[in-house]
Amino acid sequence: MDTTVYVPADQPAPAPGGAARAVRARSLTKTYGKGEATVQALDGVDVDFEQGRFTAIMGPSGSGKSTLMHLLAGLDSATSGQAFLGDTEITGLNDKALTRLRRDRVGFVFQQFNLLPMFTAEQNITLPVELAGGTVDKAWFDTLVETLGIKSRLTHRPGELSGGQQQRVAIARALIAQPDVVFADEPTGNLDSRSGAEVLSFLRRSVRELGRTIIMVTHDPSAAAYADRAVLIADGRIAGDISDPTPESAMAGLDALRTLEPAVATGPATGTTTGAGA
Amino acid sequence: MATSMPTARFTLGQMRRSTGRLASAGIAILISTVFVTVTLLAGGIIEETARDVVAASYADSDVIVSADEESESSFSTDDVEAVAAVDGVGTVQPLITWSGTLRNGGKGGHQLFAPVPTDPRLSPLELSDGAWPAAADEVALTPQAAERLEAEIGDELRISRTLYPEGWAESEAENPAAELGEPEEVFESLTVTGLADDPYGVYTASGGAAAIPSATLSAWNAAEVYPSDVTDLLVALDSPLADDSVPAALSTAIQDTVGGTGAQASVETTEAAATTRTSGLTGGDNIIFLVFVMAFAAIALMIAAMVITNTFQVLIAQRTRTLALLRCIGAGADQVYRSVLLEAAILGVVASALGTLIGALLTQAALMVAPNFDLGVPIPETITLTPQSIVLPLAVGTVMTVLAALAPARSATRVAPLAALRPSDAPTLGARTGRARLVISVLCILGGIALLGLGASLGNAGSLEVGMVAAVGGVAFTFFGIVLSAVLWLPRVAAGLGALVTRSGPAPRLAVANTLRNPRRTAATSTALLIGVTLVTMMSTGAASARATSEHRLDEAFPYDLSVSVTVPEYVEDMRDAVAEASGVSAAAVVTHASAAIGDTEDMQLKAADPDGLVAVVNVPDQAEELAEGSILLSQDTADSLSLGAGDSTPVSGPSGTVDLTVVITGSTALDQTVTPEDLARVTDTHTGTDIWGHISGDDAEVVLGNVQEIATQVDIDALVVSQAAQAASFRQIVDVVLGIMVGLLAVAVVIALVGVTNTLSLSVIERTKESATLRAIGMSKEQLRGMLAVEGVLIAGVGALVGIVLGLGFGWSGSATALSVMGTVQFAVPWTELALTLGVALIAGLLASVLPARAAARTSPVAALGAE
Repeated sequence: MDTTVYVPADQPAPAPGGAARAVRARSLTKTYGKGEATVQALDGVDVDFEQGRFTAIMGPSGSGKSTLMHLLAGLDSATSGQAFLGDTEITGLNDKALTRLRRDRVGFVFQQFNLLPMFTAEQNITLPVELAGGTVDKAWFDTLVETLGIKSRLTHRPGELSGGQQQRVAIARALIAQPDVVFADEPTGNLDSRSGAEVLSFLRRSVRELGRTIIMVTHDPSAAAYADRAVLIADGRIAGDISDPTPESAMAGLDALRTLEPAVATGPATGTTTGAGA
Repeated sequence: MATSMPTARFTLGQMRRSTGRLASAGIAILISTVFVTVTLLAGGIIEETARDVVAASYADSDVIVSADEESESSFSTDDVEAVAAVDGVGTVQPLITWSGTLRNGGKGGHQLFAPVPTDPRLSPLELSDGAWPAAADEVALTPQAAERLEAEIGDELRISRTLYPEGWAESEAENPAAELGEPEEVFESLTVTGLADDPYGVYTASGGAAAIPSATLSAWNAAEVYPSDVTDLLVALDSPLADDSVPAALSTAIQDTVGGTGAQASVETTEAAATTRTSGLTGGDNIIFLVFVMAFAAIALMIAAMVITNTFQVLIAQRTRTLALLRCIGAGADQVYRSVLLEAAILGVVASALGTLIGALLTQAALMVAPNFDLGVPIPETITLTPQSIVLPLAVGTVMTVLAALAPARSATRVAPLAALRPSDAPTLGARTGRARLVISVLCILGGIALLGLGASLGNAGSLEVGMVAAVGGVAFTFFGIVLSAVLWLPRVAAGLGALVTRSGPAPRLAVANTLRNPRRTAATSTALLIGVTLVTMMSTGAASARATSEHRLDEAFPYDLSVSVTVPEYVEDMRDAVAEASGVSAAAVVTHASAAIGDTEDMQLKAADPDGLVAVVNVPDQAEELAEGSILLSQDTADSLSLGAGDSTPVSGPSGTVDLTVVITGSTALDQTVTPEDLARVTDTHTGTDIWGHISGDDAEVVLGNVQEIATQVDIDALVVSQAAQAASFRQIVDVVLGIMVGLLAVAVVIALVGVTNTLSLSVIERTKESATLRAIGMSKEQLRGMLAVEGVLIAGVGALVGIVLGLGFGWSGSATALSVMGTVQFAVPWTELALTLGVALIAGLLASVLPARAAARTSPVAALGAE
C-alpha cells in the first residue's frame, strides 16, 4: 500500500532551530525475514533529533516507529544505513560496546514500567549507575526525585506504587546516569489519562528544566502534543514533521497518514505540518 | 473416548518440543529406578548365594536328619551310629564345627575346625594338595587359614585347649577351681598334611577352616565344658534318591531309630533342607540389609520426585501461551490436566523402563567382574529376573513421576484463556505459607529434639535398643519439621548468606533478591540438596565419631600397641629385650600377672609393672603416671564392687604377706588392679602369667606385628603376639568401607538434586525473560547477567549444603551419643575432610548448574523488554 506522505531519502528531516543533533539516522533500513516473507520495517529513513528537546515519533501501528527507536537506541541491528548517537556511529558496534553505550549514554522508559519488583524505588533508580560500577550523584538524584515528586515513595517497592508513580520512578531511572538521550516507548500506554498527563508533564519538565533530550514513541496525538516536535512515520518512511504539535495538529497529521490521497498531507493542519510533499 | 485422542496427539507434540528438558527429568527418574532395580536384583543374588552356601555345607549328602528345634534336642554319638545302621543308609556325618587357638609361631589365633568325614562325599572341602589328616595330630588347611598362619605342608602348628576337671560344668560352687582343681591349658602339635579348597565358600565367613579327623573333632568338642550340640546329620545313602522326596519307609526307619530322645526328628532331602534353612536366614540379616538399602532408594526416589515437580513447572511455564490458546479454542481444564498427566506417565514409563534395563545390565556386569576379586564365596553367574524385579521398579518409577506431576498439572489448569491475549507471568503455585505449616513443623522439630535427647540419655543408661528407636524417631521428626518449614526460613537464610556477597556489586545483589522472589521454589530446590547433604554428613559424622570413640576405647582398654604372652618364666627377660629391639617397636615393658586378695576379696587378678616402663609403653601415659609404690590403680567398676573410693587405703594380701595400698582410680580398664613389682613381691611370688607390652612408633602396625611375631617365637615357641594397633587399623578400614558405600549411595541422591537446581534456574530464566531484557537495556552486560545466575545457583546449592551439614552434624552427634555410649565415653568428631568436600561439590555443582540457564538468559535481546511482542 502506498503512503500518503513521502520524504525523499536525500533530504533529511531538518531539525528546527539549528540545535546540536543528539541522534541521527541516515538511510536506515531494516528488513525482517527472507524471500517471500520479507517485511520492510524501515525503508531508508533519514532523520535528525536535536539535543535538549522533546521529540515524539508518531505513526499508526506497523508503521515502523518502534523499529526506528530500537535501531536508534542500539537495541537492534540495522540491515543497512547508519545511526549516530552524537558523533558515535552505533550501527556496527558489537554487543559489548552497545551495552556500554546503553549503560552510559542512553536511558529507557518502557510502556510497562519494567521495574524490578524485589527492589525499592530508590534501588531501582540507582541500578544503572551501579551496573556501570559508578557512584550515584546525590545532588542529581535529589533533583530528580524532587522534580518527579517521588521523594516520599523511595522506600516502597513497585507493587506498592500506582502506575503513574511507577512510571515516574522509571523516568528517574532513565535519567540517573545523565544520558545523552532518553527513549520512551509508549510511556503512557499503560496509564489512565490523568496519570498519563502527569507523566508527560514530567517528561517535558525534564527537558525544559533539566536540559535532557527525550525521544518518545507514541500513537497518541494528545501525548505527542506535549513534545516540542512530532516526527510522523508510515510504512517505514518519514511521512511528516510537526513542530510544537497540538493534539489537533498531531491528530490531523495522523489522519492524513491514514487517508489514501497524497493531497491530505497539505490538509487543514498544514499550518504546523511540514509535509515532505509540500 | 472422543476427547482423549486429540489430547494424546497434543501431548506427544508437546513432548517432542520439550525433549531436552524432559530428558533431564528422565535422568532423575532413571537414576532412581536403576537404584531400585539393582537393590532388588542384589537382594535376589544375596539370597541365592546364602542358599548355595547352606546347600554346600551339606556337601553331597542325600538326606539331612534334623533334630526337633522346639524341644532343643540333639543327637548323641549313639544316635549317629544308630542312623548309620539303618537299612539303606551308607554313611552318616554329624554337622559340627569346633574352634580353638591355633598358631604357627607367633601367628594365628582363633581358628574354626571342620571335620574330615570318613566318607569324602560328606565334606564340602576338596583336597587340593597333600593328604587328608588321618591321625589326631594331623591337620589340613583351607587357603584362607593357610595364608593367615603362613603355613605350608609339613609345618608343625600348635593348638592350645583348656581342659576342665570333670564335673566343672555341673558344679554349683562359686569357685569350682577350689573344689575340682585348676583348669589345665594343654599345648599339642599338629602337622599340616594337606591343603583343601573350599570351592563353595562354606567357611569363608569364619576366615577359613582347619580340617581334622571327624573323630578327633568330636572328642575335642566333647571335652569342652559346654560342647556344641549336634542338631543335623548328613546322610549318604547306598543308592541315590530316585526322586525329590525321601521314601516314607526310610524316613520312618530313621525317626524310629533316633526316637529315643522323645522328639520327632525331621528327615528331608538336602535340597529341601537348604531351602528351609535359607528362608530362616532371609527373615533375619538379609531383610535388614534390604530395608537399609531400600531406605536409600526411597531417598533417591523422593528427591527425584522433587526434581520432576520442578521440571514440569518449567514445562508448564514455557507453554503458558500454548495452553492458554488451547483453552481459548475450547479445551477444558480437565483435558489440559489429563494431557500433563499423560505426559508424565509416558515419561515415567520410558525412563523407568530404561532405568530397569540399565539396572539389570549393571548388576549383570558386576556379576561378571566380581569373580576377578577374591570373594571366597561363589556367586551366581547370571542375574535371575523375577517378575517383581522388573515390575516393581517400573511401577514405582512411573507412579512416582505421575504423582510428582500432579501439582504442576493443577497449575496448568489455572492458565487462563486470557493469557493467550496478553503477556502474562508464568503460573506459579500459590505461595500460601499457612500457619498450620508453621505450627506442625515447630511441634515436629521440638518433639524430634526431645526424642533425640531421650535417645541419648537412654543410650547412656544402657537401653540401647529403645534409645536407638527414640533417636531414629527424633531424626525423622526433626527432619520432617525442618523440610516442611523450609519454605518459611530457607529463603531468608539464603538472603542472609547472600548479604555477604551483595557488597561485591549489583549482580550479586540482584541474585540475592531473586532467590527471595519465589520462596517455595527456592526452598524446594535447596531442600532436595539439603536432604542428600544432611544424610551424607550424618553418616560421616556418625562414622567419624564411632571411629574416634572406638579408638579412644581401644586406647583405654588396650593401652598398648602390642602384647606378647610369655609361657616360660625363664624367657621373660630375653623376650622383653627381643621385643624392644624389634624394628618399629620403641619401648617394651614387662607386665606380670598374679593372684591376690584385695581387702576380703580373694582371687583378684593383679598386674605389676614398673611405672617408668609402663609410662613409656602405654597410649595413656597420664593414667600410668599415677602408679607409684604404695598405690594400686583400680577402675571405677572394680573400686565400686570393692566398696572403695579414690584415696582409700586397702590391704592387699597373698602368700608372702600383706601390704596397705592407696587406691587410685584409673579410666583405663587395662590398668585395673595394677601395682608396682616391689609391692607385688611383698604379697606373692607366684605369677599366673607374664606379658610384654610394646609401643609401636610410626611404622605400619601390620608390618611391626609381623616382625615381632617372627622374633618372639624364636624366644618362646608358644608365645602369642597380638596387636591392638593392627586391630584398630582393620576396624578403621571396615568403618571406612561401610561409610564409603553409604556415601556412594547417597551421592546418587545428590546428583539427582543437582539436576533440580539446573531446572529451577531455567524456570527462573524463563519467567524473567522480560526482566533480563530490561536489565540488558539499562546497561547490564552479558557477563553480569551470567554472573547473577551463577550467584543464584551457588546460593541455592550453598544454603542446602550448609544447612544440611549443620543438621547432619547434629543428627550424627545425637545418634552417636545414643549408639556409641555402650563403647564408653563418646567422642564427638567432626569429619572435616568430608564436610569440606561436600560443601565444595555442592558449590561447584551450583555454579555448573547455572551455566546452561545463564546462556539462555544472555541470549535474551534487550528488545524483549519493550513491548508485549
